[in-house]
Amino acid sequence: MAEVKEMTRKLEEIHKKIKAEIPWEPVGPTPMPEIPDLRNWDMRLLKTYAPFYAPFCDLCCFCTYGKCDLTETRRGACGIDIATQQARWVLLSCLMGCSAHAAHGGHILEFLIERYGPDKKIDLGGSINIEAPHIRTVVGLKPETLGDLVIAIEYVFKEITHLLDSTAMGQEGSYLDYESKALHAGMLDHVGMEVADIAQIVGFNYPTSVADTPLIDLGWAAVDKSKPVILFVGHNPATSTVVIDYLRENNLYDQVEVCGVCCTALETSRYSDRAKVVGPFSRQLFFIRSGIADVIMTDEQCIRTDMPIEASKAGSSLIATLDKAMYGLEDASEMDTEDIVRQMVEDKKHFAILDPRKAAEVAAKVAIVIAPQRRKEWLTEGEAKELATKCNVCGMCEQVCPNLFNIGAGIAEVAKGNFDLIREQFNLCVGCGKCEAECPRKIPIFKIMQIAASKESWKVRAGRGPIMDTEIRTVGAPITLGTIPGVVAIVGCSNFPDIRDIAEMVDEFAKRKYIVVVSGCSAMVAGMWKDADGKTVYEKYPPAFDMGGVVNVGSCVANSHITGAAIKIANIFAALPLRGNYEVMADYVLNRVGAVGVAWGAYSQKAASIATGCNRLGIPVILGPHSSKYRRLYLSRKEEDDWRVMDARKREIVDTGEPSPEHLAYVCETKEKAMVMIPKLCIRKNDTPQGRAIKLNHYISLHKKYMGGGLPEDIHLFVRRDPDIPLVYKKEVRAYLQEIGWKPKEPVGLPTLIGTYPSKVSVDAVIH
Amino acid sequence: MSAVIPYHRVNVLTGIKSARLIEDAQEYADLIKKARRPLLVLGPLLLKWSLDGKLLIEYALEIAKAANIPTCATAQVRAKMAELGIKPDSFYDVVEIINALKDPNWRGVRKEGNHDLVLFFGIRSDLGEQGLSVLKHFAPHLKTMTLCKFYFPNANYSLPNFRKDEQWKAFLESLIDNLKKGE
Repeated sequence: MAEVKEMTRKLEEIHKKIKAEIPWEPVGPTPMPEIPDLRNWDMRLLKTYAPFYAPFCDLCCFCTYGKCDLTETRRGACGIDIATQQARWVLLSCLMGCSAHAAHGGHILEFLIERYGPDKKIDLGGSINIEAPHIRTVVGLKPETLGDLVIAIEYVFKEITHLLDSTAMGQEGSYLDYESKALHAGMLDHVGMEVADIAQIVGFNYPTSVADTPLIDLGWAAVDKSKPVILFVGHNPATSTVVIDYLRENNLYDQVEVCGVCCTALETSRYSDRAKVVGPFSRQLFFIRSGIADVIMTDEQCIRTDMPIEASKAGSSLIATLDKAMYGLEDASEMDTEDIVRQMVEDKKHFAILDPRKAAEVAAKVAIVIAPQRRKEWLTEGEAKELATKCNVCGMCEQVCPNLFNIGAGIAEVAKGNFDLIREQFNLCVGCGKCEAECPRKIPIFKIMQIAASKESWKVRAGRGPIMDTEIRTVGAPITLGTIPGVVAIVGCSNFPDIRDIAEMVDEFAKRKYIVVVSGCSAMVAGMWKDADGKTVYEKYPPAFDMGGVVNVGSCVANSHITGAAIKIANIFAALPLRGNYEVMADYVLNRVGAVGVAWGAYSQKAASIATGCNRLGIPVILGPHSSKYRRLYLSRKEEDDWRVMDARKREIVDTGEPSPEHLAYVCETKEKAMVMIPKLCIRKNDTPQGRAIKLNHYISLHKKYMGGGLPEDIHLFVRRDPDIPLVYKKEVRAYLQEIGWKPKEPVGLPTLIGTYPSKVSVDAVIH
Repeated sequence: MSAVIPYHRVNVLTGIKSARLIEDAQEYADLIKKARRPLLVLGPLLLKWSLDGKLLIEYALEIAKAANIPTCATAQVRAKMAELGIKPDSFYDVVEIINALKDPNWRGVRKEGNHDLVLFFGIRSDLGEQGLSVLKHFAPHLKTMTLCKFYFPNANYSLPNFRKDEQWKAFLESLIDNLKKGE
């Protein structure tokens, strides 16, 4: 009885927070879900998509009982086994990622509420009514003001604390429950990202309700180094926008070049289309060591932790602008501006300045004073050749390379005056600098690689934020029926096996009339390629969220708009209520929305968290080969797994035997394999025969293109009846099906997992 | 013996159980011959790497033929094999074959039961090492062996870090000769 009372009180509190009395939709079963609330959904997913653990380390060294060896059947002193330890790591990674975005959102909110007050209205333009699909679905709140976003982010903060608590020694003992918690963290991450980006759009007046955002200059050759240059590094635009305001107000914007690396670059270009995007995270150290930046301003996430050392080496001035990364620098937030400028110019000191206005003024003044005193020239081929002659090809550089290539061979070729190999290798370089640190002869490898960097500039479309409701109305039917073959979200960081893979993937799928969505570092490198007509993918394809479109949603936190679009399809097109109704939304996306994420260069904990959030929502994710180091995938065993669904129309459970989507988190070793997995993971049980035939057409043709002729060996699993077979391959597929004794099966009218596992949600809830 | 450091430092072992380093091709051949149901997993680097102009895929296929080992083509290896007129016994990508191998009740690529020795050849070393880690921890029913020119700590049997390609070539040729002897 006491328990019932407590639950009621808790529910009352939740209803108060989410303003349940405002009847925009009835409140569903899980507003503000806590750890156990979606656990049954998670367990159902994990039954088919079992965790696949690749331990990165055999030991546990979290507590003073350790180190504990967990190989074979050994358990740690606390009783933990190797699988549970991996799951704990996964949860910790997801929490790091989720915290980074949520704290970013929290900071931006504080900053903007200080500026505008909590009642500042959320208005995302005339084409976006469902402004916050994640907040509406997960939290159950329709946010109308910045103050409402605080309610959402406080919920995320609270859940993070509970999840982190579970990772302490002597807590959770089941890998499945740790996975459920990781999925919870991933879901929270998308709420945190959505809070951050909505706040930014509202507070900084970013483009919204528009597809055709400006094309931004991209590449380090786009940066006018004859001017004083201010470089932003990180993710949080609070300071970069203030710097632009300062330059505008003081008529300095024509005199000072503003550029950025990583997501702050994308954010800043949403604020001012004159800001330049240097490139992704992997180009950070190159650009800093080039010395082109007079002032470097760091904020948070994906910034080098040795930035003061690197800035000093390059003769650049550094200002750390956020408390997340202060580098041990003196906090000059309260100091006199002129005194800071004097010390930075004369004494070459770096400072932390947490007051954006002061940081902006200092940056502008310092850049203008020191720029004329600094040499900012690219290395010449002759100089590179001279520096390279010291290389004796010892191979130490290759041994420490995370991308496993032999830069020493490239340097040796430079010494002979041949620059072809190093130009090729520049595309493989992930920009960590470990090769140079390891070199026994102290060869400045990064400096030499300047000659390999293209001096070409490109274009990237400015991030446009949420997908418009009007677009969802247009594409909802063709996506769920399968006649738009899929939504391919090519997202995330720049730990690419080869940087050129991204533009190739974007081009391949846009050409095939998939909807291609990009974000973050992947959005930048998608633009670093031109076709025979000199066009980047942003100039070649329309910016609409429609077949054949290439859409840049923005930075990392804008990833929430991609998953948000999937929710919007369920809510706007299928008219399913979303408020506090996560299971229904996720079930719809899993079974009916042919979307796949591709995080080809995922490196950070944030990428792990974003991907895990996609997985809970029913969106599979393909990862590049490095991502095996994340320790965990979610894989099925094809037809051997449980592919039963409820046919909601007939109210009966059907064993489809169809592995769609086949995996939820999958690593491909090569681009070629990824090209084939992408169309396969867009297949959904809800596809109409026409839609399925279109999807299989792409699956087969890409398989033939990249896997060398023949049909995919699992094609029979995806053909339900003859009309599913694409016309162009009819004869070949029919012959194969006959050869293996394939039997037709009925498509499922309304496939859902609801009804196949214990849930508070009834089958009625998925019928629209 | 002090710990062997893998060539690619990202693969350095943080643990206790590490691969037995074997340099003798005869010993490798004996282990392969002793296996009842071996499997050779072919990775895409076999299409990229060559020794004296001979692609590594050709060495791999000679090993498979000499010891009658069924093959599993990962990534785009099947395309090259088709060019060479050879059909692999199975097609799985690397994480898929490892996922299947984990299951002691899996029937294997020839449906004769799960494999007892799995040879990996031509998979990028970081992904390969992670895959070997999966099997080390979760597949006690089988042994793993590598044929690439680097030391893989998570395997059961590994080659050393060959300093020169000639050493690797000599090993592979000797391995093929030794396997043929048992034909």
